[in-house]
Amino acid sequence: MKAILLLLSLGLIAGAAEAQLPGLRKYTPTDNAQRAALVPPAAPLGGIDATRADFAAQTGGTTVYFGVGSAILAPPATLVLSAQAAWFRRHPEVVARVEGYADSGDTRDHALAMGARRAEEARDYLLLLGVPARQVSITSWGKERPGLGRAVTVLVR
Amino acid sequence: MKRLFQGFLLIAGASVAQAQEPQTAAGIVIAVPPLTSPDSGTKGNQMLQVGWEATQVIVADLSHTREFAPLRTSRDDYYSYPEVTAPSFGKWRSAGAKVLVTGFVQGRSDGRLTFGCYVYDVEKGRELARKGFVLTPGEWRRAAHKCSGLAYSAVVGVPGGFDSRIAYVAETGTGDARLRRIAVMDSDGFNHRYLTAGGTMVLTPRLSPKANRLAYVSFLDGKPSIRLLDLGSGQERALVPQDAISFAPRYSPDGSRIVFSMMVGSNCDIYIVGADGGAPQRLTTSPGVDTDPSFSPDGTKIVFESDRGGQQQLYVMNADGSGERRITFGNGAYASPVWSPDGQWLAFTRHGPEGRRVGIVKPDGTGELLLTDGPADEGPSWAPNSRDILFQRAGPGRSSLFHVALAGGAARQMTIPQDGSDPDWSGVMD
Repeated sequence: MKAILLLLSLGLIAGAAEAQLPGLRKYTPTDNAQRAALVPPAAPLGGIDATRADFAAQTGGTTVYFGVGSAILAPPATLVLSAQAAWFRRHPEVVARVEGYADSGDTRDHALAMGARRAEEARDYLLLLGVPARQVSITSWGKERPGLGRAVTVLVR
Repeated sequence: MKRLFQGFLLIAGASVAQAQEPQTAAGIVIAVPPLTSPDSGTKGNQMLQVGWEATQVIVADLSHTREFAPLRTSRDDYYSYPEVTAPSFGKWRSAGAKVLVTGFVQGRSDGRLTFGCYVYDVEKGRELARKGFVLTPGEWRRAAHKCSGLAYSAVVGVPGGFDSRIAYVAETGTGDARLRRIAVMDSDGFNHRYLTAGGTMVLTPRLSPKANRLAYVSFLDGKPSIRLLDLGSGQERALVPQDAISFAPRYSPDGSRIVFSMMVGSNCDIYIVGADGGAPQRLTTSPGVDTDPSFSPDGTKIVFESDRGGQQQLYVMNADGSGERRITFGNGAYASPVWSPDGQWLAFTRHGPEGRRVGIVKPDGTGELLLTDGPADEGPSWAPNSRDILFQRAGPGRSSLFHVALAGGAARQMTIPQDGSDPDWSGVMD
């Protein structure tokens, strides 16, 4: 019974694709050719984009999170940072910046300091695991961008 | 003389507390007939026109205070130049005025204008104050503000601060794409202009006491750092040359020094440096976050916040960093303290489970009072008369500037061309 329903619905979708919907022009092969000319095909990832994708895939994430009001790394965060450190040791040519974010309920200037402390904490852990200091810098966004309290490792070049 | 007006002030204060409508007839009745001129002919007519426009600015200034209720001003109340110093008190007495402001505008041979301003006690028929100001024709609004300030200080006993500026962060757009520019305007909202272009995130503009310089935080180099801007020349430079994260700048009362926070590693301490340069000196050494320093008006002390005890609390130290003393012990966190221009109060942001609210406490830690309801108020800044506090109130994704009176009553929104945050009110300009 379920299989029949599934087939039926697939048929419906196929039918809908063929139907001329009111207010919409039906696509023709010419249209598609024109669109293809307008939109260049997606280039394969290269340069910093490819490096960033590789970094994110190999390390399990660019971001570590903190408890409210805290700049202390919890075990999930150290796991991610250990993987990041291993990756940086394999790619000594890559330069990165750890960006710290504070809690949205904080006051403006304390938030800047908390963001910096979180970024510094994450950077210190990377350095502890053998990443050269010149390879990683920090900045703080305080509470100026929405989201949870976190430190994000951004590859610069 | 002051004693005579204290009675009026009590009445005015009571009325404001009962009725929050600013236009109700509360306050001392003051008459401001149109300023006259000793000049004659075409020049005389020009001066009378300037005088009339200045008169309207004075009336507007005084009507925005909680202490004064200006009479309706008409050009029919013209008086001659000799009457500036010999006004017809009987006329104003029967009109119900307690205070009278007279004055004149005179063209000078060098093209500038002389403004004369006189304040009288109508019932006693006695002069309370007089002052002359020489300004360029383009600065006639400032002359009017100075005349308002003369009347205010002669009657209320504290500076009016009408000739001052307000800087803030103008905000447009949403989310990460929100555009922020430093804006500055006269304290009555006129001469509004943007000082930064908007491509770079900016925070916390802080005017020098005379409002001719500005310190602010810019993300120009990718990290927050303090920059100084000269409003006259437009010249700009970084406060500290190092590649450091620095923020929370504030001028000393004489404008010669700047206190601020700087990160060294994960340690955030308070430093001081000359406004014209030099090597920063470290003032605090605790391992916690020490930030938001603000000078006492006599320049001898600095209030700041520190989370060294776990939660942010207010501390006072001597201006050389010695004699640190914690002054708040309440529940919740106490942040962003600012010393009032009269030295009597510290304004602060208190945050806890109920959100962020603005309040005041005496420098010895007593007399704590919350002035706003929150839930997302912060960044207090004092009016030059120490009777009003300007602050930022955030809503979902936006924020606006509000002000609240120490005397009580609801906070009122300030009219600005777009959203705004981080207000900063200067002292009175020269």
